[in-house]
Amino acid sequence: MRLRAGISAALASAAILLVGWQAGAHVADSNASAVTTSSTGDTGGTASGTGSTANGTTGSSASGSSSGTGAGSSSSTGSSSSTGSSSSSTLGASAKAGGTYAGTAVETRFGTVQVQVTIKAGVITDVTALHLTDQEQRSVQISARAAPLLRSEVLSAQSANVQTIGGATYTSEAYLTSLQAALDAAHF
Amino acid sequence: MQPISKPNGPGQDAAEPRLRSRTFTSMGTVVSLAIPAATRTAPQAAVEELEAATAVVEQLFTGLDRTFSLYRPDSEASAMARGELALRDASVDMRRLYVEAVHWRSLTEGAFTAERPDGVVDLAGIVKGHAIREAGTSLLALGLKDWCLNAGGDVLVAGSPTPGTARPWLAGIIDPEDRTTLLTAFPLGSKGKHALATSGTSERGHHIWSAGLQSARDQGFRQVSVAAADIITADVLATAIMAGGAGTLTLTASRWDVDVLAVKNDGGLLATPGFRKLAAQPS
Repeated sequence: MRLRAGISAALASAAILLVGWQAGAHVADSNASAVTTSSTGDTGGTASGTGSTANGTTGSSASGSSSGTGAGSSSSTGSSSSTGSSSSSTLGASAKAGGTYAGTAVETRFGTVQVQVTIKAGVITDVTALHLTDQEQRSVQISARAAPLLRSEVLSAQSANVQTIGGATYTSEAYLTSLQAALDAAHF
Repeated sequence: MQPISKPNGPGQDAAEPRLRSRTFTSMGTVVSLAIPAATRTAPQAAVEELEAATAVVEQLFTGLDRTFSLYRPDSEASAMARGELALRDASVDMRRLYVEAVHWRSLTEGAFTAERPDGVVDLAGIVKGHAIREAGTSLLALGLKDWCLNAGGDVLVAGSPTPGTARPWLAGIIDPEDRTTLLTAFPLGSKGKHALATSGTSERGHHIWSAGLQSARDQGFRQVSVAAADIITADVLATAIMAGGAGTLTLTASRWDVDVLAVKNDGGLLATPGFRKLAAQPS
């Protein structure tokens, strides 16, 4: 009994390693076109080194793919790395079939974030956000934190309606012809 | 010369007191302090209060400039740049600010830096913000509750332009395409954001090193404004996003509670929700 358990445990961790390694390789591929570079690149590159801890492998590769393909926020990285570790026991059994794994909820400045990872044939095919809300309902910030917008979408302002003027630092000379100088003169 | 029409003129709502401001030159730019002319105080007393406060702020800026300016040969910073003074032998102020700058370099993953490419310690990116912060502390210590301090386009406010109300200070943001017009405005003081800093190339034009790097120029920013709770965060992050581009913008928006408006080199805008019309409109 004990021997069988040991063998199946070994097989399970081998399967986890395989998943982790393949996911890691996939991460490295997907990141070739993504913005993220250093940390996720390491995941794929150090697949051999991660053999010592199976959970770590799964976790780190899952987190890598999240920052590359997922919600695109560094805050969700933490939650998806826990995805890997929490689902590692089931991963071993269903590594070939793949499946969908929900991560644990993580508190961020945007509120609670939870992601779901879909694995097919050992490759992470999808990362979706399950829970992205907070008190102020600012969940949209996660996917569009600094979104493109038209000039008509910002608050229109005239210098007569503002109390001060912000802008890139002007020199003492440039101040003389600046809107701030006009405001200061009006407020003298 | 400027499209200023009746700023706080006699025709305006009586509930809105007129602002008074005084200016001085420091750190290569002009600093303005504005406070609402209190209705209860005699006009002359209000002017004296403003001028005394401005003198305190000026003294503070001058002192910091004397220590940190690389344009003054007799400054501590210049002595360090020449290799005559080691950081460990520098003043407490210098070492503290250096530590703070190094901390920010790590927080921004290298986008903000306190050293020039040649290795010389250059705290220019944080000194003005530090001076504004110290000035703000002094103004509050003087008992002033409502004021707006503008140092070369970086702004820190307290209270309201209408004392006793929640009305925010409205800070216009220069359009880098046309410096005589405003791109938009941001309500300072609402949602805990009292500071606005802007970094950009509009004063000096494009840097030469970006010429020829077409893709980098298309993706880069011409002007970045950051609204934050404090002026150091706003100042450092605006500088960091200018230097680090879109990657740093994403990092910044996810890590700090700030609002960002970035003008891309192609004229397009990127903004966090705080800069959108509905969110920005003072209720």
